[in-house]
Amino acid sequence: MAVAIAVRVRFFARLRELAGVETETLQIAPNSSLADAYDALRARHSSLPARDGVRGAVNQEFAGWSERVSEGDELAFIPPVSGGRR
Amino acid sequence: MRYDVTTAPIDVRELEAAVVHPGAGAVCTFSGIVRDNSRGQTVTHLDYEAYAEMAVPQMRKIGQEIRDRWPEARVAMAHRTGHLEIGEVSVVVAVSCPHRAEAFEACRWGIDRLKESVPIWKKEHAADGTFWIEGEDAKPVGR
Repeated sequence: MAVAIAVRVRFFARLRELAGVETETLQIAPNSSLADAYDALRARHSSLPARDGVRGAVNQEFAGWSERVSEGDELAFIPPVSGGRR
Repeated sequence: MRYDVTTAPIDVRELEAAVVHPGAGAVCTFSGIVRDNSRGQTVTHLDYEAYAEMAVPQMRKIGQEIRDRWPEARVAMAHRTGHLEIGEVSVVVAVSCPHRAEAFEACRWGIDRLKESVPIWKKEHAADGTFWIEGEDAKPVGR
């Protein structure tokens, strides 16, 4: 069993500016969830906001925080989209 | 069916032409235009940022949802990214159907879904500062 897996992380819009990076590689324990990954990133980039108000995506699909991540996955952390008044 | 995220100006007629066919008696097109004001403030310009590798598949998914509801619809969508001036077209949804009632409904449904689920963000440059627009919230850049 691997001691860590590597995932690719992408930040967008305000989260990209707050993190100060667009992409990075994260090493996390096997069987980690999307929430675990985000918490690890917040420990590294203290200006990232709390999880509520952030959405996660795994391999270009919206994903719940409890979703497990795998070696080589692309994780993205996404602020609410622009929306707009009807 | 055509789905684009592009830095080039959007040609609305080209998207309409992509959905026209002899069985379609109605084409309904929504064009979103950069407005010169927001939150009571003068807006000078916008910057749009996309997660393009996810935005295009999300658009395709919405196109499929439209076809599930209105099986005879044909759909084209485009969203601009980068720097946009006042009056420029930022987003277009074009839908053709046999008749106008379903064309209006499907187009309305398509733009509403796009606004809530396609990962594209707007940065507003206004008289009172620069803001990321996140749904109902305008968040000052850097905070």
